[in-house]
Amino acid sequence: MTGEGPPDVTGVRRADGGAPPTRDGPPDVAAVERAAAGRALRFPRVPHRGRLGAVRAASVGSSMELHDFRAYHPGDDLRHVDWNAVARTGELVVRVRQDEVSPRVEVVLDASASMAVSAEKAARAKELALWVCELSRNAGGEATLLLAGGEGLRVTGPGMRPALLAAKADGRAPFDVALARLPPLRPCGVRVVVSDFLVEAPPGPLAERLARDAASAVFVQVLDADDVDPPGGAGARLTDAETGEVLERLLDAGALAAYRERLAAHVAAWQGAARRVSARWLPLVASATLDELARRELSWLAEGT
Amino acid sequence: MSFGAPLGLLALLALAPVVAAYFLRRKQPPRVVSALFLWRSPDPRAEAGPKLERFSREASLALEALAIAAAALFLADARCGEVAPTAHLVVVLDGSLSMRATVDGASAADRARDEVARLVRAEGAAALTLVESGLKPRVLAGPQLQVARALAALEGWVPSQPAHDVAPAFTLARELATGREQPLFFLTDGPPGAVALPPSVQGRSVGRRAPNVAFLSALRRDVAGVATVTVRVGNFTDEARTVQVRLDDGRGVAHETPVTMGPGASAALRVGLRTSAEVRATLPGDALPDDGDLVLPPAPDEGLAVEVLEGLDVAARAAVTRALSAVDGVTLGAPAGLAVGPPGSAATVRLGAVGELASFVGPFFAKKTNPLLDDVQLGGVVWTAGAGPVPGEPLLSAGTVVLASEGDDGVVHLNLDLTRSNVQRSVAWPVLWGNLARRARTARQGFPRRLVSLGEDVAVVTAPGRSWSLEGPSGEARPLLGVGALSLPALTPPGAWRLLADGVEVDRLAVVPLDAAESDLRTRGPWAVEAPRVTALASLASSRPRAFGFVVVALAALLVDFWLTARRRA
Repeated sequence: MTGEGPPDVTGVRRADGGAPPTRDGPPDVAAVERAAAGRALRFPRVPHRGRLGAVRAASVGSSMELHDFRAYHPGDDLRHVDWNAVARTGELVVRVRQDEVSPRVEVVLDASASMAVSAEKAARAKELALWVCELSRNAGGEATLLLAGGEGLRVTGPGMRPALLAAKADGRAPFDVALARLPPLRPCGVRVVVSDFLVEAPPGPLAERLARDAASAVFVQVLDADDVDPPGGAGARLTDAETGEVLERLLDAGALAAYRERLAAHVAAWQGAARRVSARWLPLVASATLDELARRELSWLAEGT
Repeated sequence: MSFGAPLGLLALLALAPVVAAYFLRRKQPPRVVSALFLWRSPDPRAEAGPKLERFSREASLALEALAIAAAALFLADARCGEVAPTAHLVVVLDGSLSMRATVDGASAADRARDEVARLVRAEGAAALTLVESGLKPRVLAGPQLQVARALAALEGWVPSQPAHDVAPAFTLARELATGREQPLFFLTDGPPGAVALPPSVQGRSVGRRAPNVAFLSALRRDVAGVATVTVRVGNFTDEARTVQVRLDDGRGVAHETPVTMGPGASAALRVGLRTSAEVRATLPGDALPDDGDLVLPPAPDEGLAVEVLEGLDVAARAAVTRALSAVDGVTLGAPAGLAVGPPGSAATVRLGAVGELASFVGPFFAKKTNPLLDDVQLGGVVWTAGAGPVPGEPLLSAGTVVLASEGDDGVVHLNLDLTRSNVQRSVAWPVLWGNLARRARTARQGFPRRLVSLGEDVAVVTAPGRSWSLEGPSGEARPLLGVGALSLPALTPPGAWRLLADGVEVDRLAVVPLDAAESDLRTRGPWAVEAPRVTALASLASSRPRAFGFVVVALAALLVDFWLTARRRA
């Protein structure tokens, strides 16, 4: 009991001696590359923005893809006048062409300590983030990695992979708090959030914040096998990975059932919140390999190239 | 609050392991979880405030501690709001051997224990003093010992005293009593009227009349490898009896003889056994089996070797040899228990005159208390002695001349020139050498007698320079001084006693329970003599039973604890 504070109203003790050590695990880059081969990120059929690229954008541009015809208005570029139509109809008709952009993809990775309760969970989350980046690149998109943990980090381009490999999921702040320290999320992009979403904050406001101004949002929930089905036993001194709070529990069948019930309710709340902000909710368990996940739970994210 | 049995508070020691177990239980194996908030049980009581929640978590420990405390208070016989019993009870117990007599499955000693317990309850005593009567009364428990501890000490009491006067025990008990007017209680099995009870003594007999056959005396003599055992058997019944006397030397039944006796009569039996081992004499079992079971060790060797050293003149040698030939059990040779030599030699008896000779006619001035001069009549004898100095304490002297002396080292100096004396032709001469031989025998380390009756003093000889002790039948050891011949007061209990020197057995003694007064159980029987009561003592009597409310509290606490624990697990 030394070094611990008094229990709060729910019997939880503050661990003044610091948070428990995490078990971060490196991602399997080869597995990521195998899973990304021949696949590209599936972009939603909604307007999106980005730098000039190969993907049709919501904006009118100068690509070769015909989007529509309309009557000429003063000020229109005369180069877009369809002279064949003028000859047929005798009216000034201009071709409206769709702009082609390189779509913006933001991968928000939860780097709080709860993502590293097991090496498997930490590795799978990083592999997943890297996989989305690879899919984005295969699809001609421009991926940006945002690490929500510690001081927050935003990486784009070639430095993304080294940054992801070096990232440590040791943030002592919950995901919602770490998110506030990140640089502002950019609008009109595809946003993929990789987290366990095991935060005590109400899911509604946090989901709205994660999906705000995004062309589309995908919430990928990565849970450890012990998160989903914790082992029982005589008792355990449960320590929160992030806050270091301690709670001693007799892990009998009743306690385990109550936990599963609360977890199911929590996930259901997040699913509802995701649905309200038009985000896709993809739950998965880290015990499966990335290849298995890519073929099952994450198949919606990728499409063949 | 007062405690009838304060030792019961030792049950509070059980708190230590319970508290330790509680904290050990709290030290669960650590496990890091992603979301601790999912493990918290919403508890409506927690919303009322942290103190209530804390109490809920500690409730199990508190209830278990309450149960232990209540149990300890019950065991300690705690009484609240009640005057604590403070009476002091003094009981004199008859320590005689006959208290062992068993009738109807219980001995008189057992009935005395029950009676003491009953007296404690009746008088509401908080302190108890138990005095055992005997040749030398002793305090069995006390003074003023807690009742529980005194009764516990009484459980180990084994009466083993011979017939004795109980007056010294009453005197000791009176000194230990709280006040002069406090009544004393005396528990005995003796016949009524055998003991004169002081006015303040309340006497009660716990004895029972019973027939008994016992050994009255036992003697063993060992000569030339033959043990001659003589026993006398007494019939303490109202009818003629024929009993089988069984003598066993450890190799099976050596001898079994029927002995017929009339009522109240006795018969002697003498048997010779070719053995040098212990002989056990037994009678058929009866109410007091102790007086029908004797172990007779071999008698001490009576032989004595005497050596006459070189340097003694021919006349002296002849006179000494002639005198010793008349002493029973003495042989000439080595190793010697007694050595005779001229003055200046290493002998223990130095015979000869030094210096100018002078003759004296007896009687002489003698130290008659010295056993060496027992029956030594020197009237009319001519004793020629030298004028030289004679060391040691004078035993015989004529004027300023010392005729015989004894040094501090036990050396006897005989200042005697036998060529000019006629002492050697007088009766005193062999008597003197007989005394010298007897002293040499008794100076040997060990017990001069290896068979003593209960209540007899015991003689023992120890030597300086060694650590001596006497080990009783139950293993307890008494230290002895190494100062030569000792006379010890009667040893109890009966049985085999061992003399140890530096932890090694030197000799063995048998104290046999032979006492006709203790063996006669025909006159025993219950009787009681009341004494004037002191009102102050009676007012402290308490018959209130223990407070069983503490047991109810303990059980209730355990039940609630069980219910709490079961609910939490559910």
